[in-house]
Amino acid sequence: MNKKILYVIALIALVISACGGGGGTAPAGEEPSGQEGSGGTPSIVRIGWAGSPDTLNPGMAVLSESYTIFELVYDSMYELNMDGTFTLTLAESATVSDDRLVWTFKIRDGITFHDGQPLTAKDVAFSYNLYQSTEDYPWMGGYTSYFESVEATDANEVVITLTEAIPNIESQLVFLYVLPEHIWGSESAVEFDNVSMIGSGPFKMVEYAQSEFVHLAANKDHFLTPPNVDEAIFQTFENNDALVQAIKTGQVDMIMEMPATAVATLESEEAVEVFVGAPLSPTVTDIIFNQVLPENCPEGDGICTGHPALLDRNVRLALAHATDKQKIIDIIYLGNASPGLTLIPDGLGVWYNSSLADYEFDLAKAAQILDDNGYVDADGDGIRDMPDGSRSLTFRVNWPSDSVDGPRLAELLSEMWGALGIKTELQSMDPDALTAVCCPAFDFDVMLWGWGSDPDPNLLLSVMTSAEITTGSSETGYSNTEYDELYAQQAVEPDFEKRKELVWKMQEMVHDDVVYIIPYYDPNIQAYRSDRFTGWITGQPKLELSDPSSLTIIEPVK
Amino acid sequence: MDRFQNLLRRIGWAVLTIAFVIVLNFFLFRILPGDPARAGVHDPRLKKDAVEAIRVRFGLDKPVINCFDSLNPIKVGNCGVNPLDTQFFIYVKNLFIGEMGFSYHTNRPVTDILVERLWNTVLLIGAGQILSVIIGVLFGILAAWKARTSIDYSALTISLLVWSLPTFWLGIILLFWGSANGFPIGGKATPGMSSMPLSVRWGDIAQHMILPTITYTLVYMGEYMLIMRSSLLDVLSEDYILTAKAKGLSVFQILRDHALKNAMLPLVTVIAINLGFTVAGAIQIESVFSWPGLGGAIFEAVNRRDFPVLQGAFLLIAVAVIAANLIADLTYTYLDPRVKME
Repeated sequence: MNKKILYVIALIALVISACGGGGGTAPAGEEPSGQEGSGGTPSIVRIGWAGSPDTLNPGMAVLSESYTIFELVYDSMYELNMDGTFTLTLAESATVSDDRLVWTFKIRDGITFHDGQPLTAKDVAFSYNLYQSTEDYPWMGGYTSYFESVEATDANEVVITLTEAIPNIESQLVFLYVLPEHIWGSESAVEFDNVSMIGSGPFKMVEYAQSEFVHLAANKDHFLTPPNVDEAIFQTFENNDALVQAIKTGQVDMIMEMPATAVATLESEEAVEVFVGAPLSPTVTDIIFNQVLPENCPEGDGICTGHPALLDRNVRLALAHATDKQKIIDIIYLGNASPGLTLIPDGLGVWYNSSLADYEFDLAKAAQILDDNGYVDADGDGIRDMPDGSRSLTFRVNWPSDSVDGPRLAELLSEMWGALGIKTELQSMDPDALTAVCCPAFDFDVMLWGWGSDPDPNLLLSVMTSAEITTGSSETGYSNTEYDELYAQQAVEPDFEKRKELVWKMQEMVHDDVVYIIPYYDPNIQAYRSDRFTGWITGQPKLELSDPSSLTIIEPVK
Repeated sequence: MDRFQNLLRRIGWAVLTIAFVIVLNFFLFRILPGDPARAGVHDPRLKKDAVEAIRVRFGLDKPVINCFDSLNPIKVGNCGVNPLDTQFFIYVKNLFIGEMGFSYHTNRPVTDILVERLWNTVLLIGAGQILSVIIGVLFGILAAWKARTSIDYSALTISLLVWSLPTFWLGIILLFWGSANGFPIGGKATPGMSSMPLSVRWGDIAQHMILPTITYTLVYMGEYMLIMRSSLLDVLSEDYILTAKAKGLSVFQILRDHALKNAMLPLVTVIAINLGFTVAGAIQIESVFSWPGLGGAIFEAVNRRDFPVLQGAFLLIAVAVIAANLIADLTYTYLDPRVKME
């Protein structure tokens, strides 16, 4: 009698297995990666990443994932190379007036958008003016702020008149993608979702499913770099284990990010090559000291509750000597990162002042500095006090709650500085709440945060100028008139060598003043399968396997 | 007639609850710290003008609520503003015309995002629910009928084990196992198949569903099995079951005609509640297997201060839970006519 129930169970088990089996056999020709390029089968490079574009509207986008796609689908005036230099792409020549205020670009003949319409100087001028005039665009204002006017004087000539003789027009134009006027002219600059994404770049949009994938096809008619592969697919994996597992098992051919803990595992895989390098847009992790002077406290917004000891360069210097950067890197990145010096990362190539000697890790020296300056433990509670005994050296340390490395960095600092007799109160904060206490409020002692850098050093150098104390960009409140002057000089210095000298000098100044402690520059860790495609660009100062420089030249392995 | 009035009253309460959720949703997200116009973006390139423009576009520059001077002695809100020009009024008004606004993060209509994600979630969690209910109930019946035998003990052990497994851990284990055996481990479909025939695409989706569905089924079937077993055990000890046995009815007849209907009652409650929460998705399963469902959307929206998406999603979940409970109540009266709607 009980058999009947067993039959039912068996039947259901059968149905389930049939469902599974049906799913397993149905998709015909479902090779995870069609790597055979010859004989009709398209060669598709599959890329795994942990994110997804926020929007395909280049003006509205905030996330770097969006920019990865823009780089492939659009062209801009300049292309950023993996060694940090720029190549003129859309224009065949660029000339500048003697006063360096008027730039004339000759757009190449015969460039077309993916829908077949020609790309002319009018489209360039239209795009630049659109970026400048649309206030809602979060980033574009920064790149177009020096434009006095942009005009298409004829079909092939764009004239940009600047308000100041800036030395770095390339880095201003590199992210200003050229959009087709015949499409964007009739759309709302802000609301247009741009899912069909007509551009002129080496890849064209096939299909986009937000948070799932971006499917691109090669634009074999591209005027400079027609890709060798036929298609490129970016697939989102929401967790790192899946990403690592996907490349291990060949479900993808390249992954754009992975945790440092996976490096050893993947390196031991025969067909997987792992690379560590500076990202295209380098990012810096910084330890921020609130050093805003009472007289500089922003009126209205400023609360300025920073610990007075942090105003003393000697205390910051002692903290620098007590910070073991190599240990931090070994623990957080398992050795796969480079120690930092100032806000200007090594990923910026020539702009990075490689001649600076860092403060060596030396606890005894750190203690000596504090002793010499009167920061001793006066009340015997194990914590050093201010020279006048008014308060102990107890610092609040905050970091954004969405930071993966923040908690570990904070714990390590607490331990290292604790050995020096300095107490830390660790607390993670919501990023918005952190912004609120940060700047221009200056309602904190120490913060662990970071910056993303432009290819040009100007942006991060500006962060440390006095002018930014009230705007909220300066997170330290550092104020040095000599530095401010050098900043203004480098911003208009046309001579490359002279400008480099100024930029290096500025780094030396902020390093001497211990404005920040930079524990490390964040690395890009990527991997590809060597049995699928060959020709990936590695061994350059920057590493970005999803950049057109790699994706247009890779070829299926024969 | 009495019954009809009761039904109306139930529905009335459900509508009131939803209205309460609508109000709560609005204020819940606005007492959180942070500025959605910046959404945690800390960058010198983000100019004050741009932040201001974003604020105006999403109506964040308007006062949150009017203080209603005469009614409100503590003067919460902004006094002296036009109550029709407050964020709260605009929010409620838009809801009535079916507008949930635009996502701050992706700039897309919230309705579009939710519909897209809801469908994915219902597909995955629906399949998981059906399987776990069927398997759980069958094992429960089997264990109860074979109470205190080795079959019962093994079913009990397995159920307790899978029920107590952490979802993400089980998911990761299955992910490692599945990827080594050729199962897709991410997303709901292989990208780039939009030109394939429908049957191939559905086969592909089915293949992507295997691992997450197994995870879901394993985690939930234990709960259903345990409830089914204990409730059926209660019923089987009743005198009328003994009578049925004495009448010489088959096991199948006893279970179908006499025991199951009564034993199902507690299970219906649990299934209904779980079904309601199904809409919320299973955040852990969705993130392990990169399934583009509602759970993932909520998680992302929380991180990015995407109030419109959160408001929409929470409203959707509230409506689903309330509706599921209403249906459970109605099912009760069908399963057991003695249960009256009070």
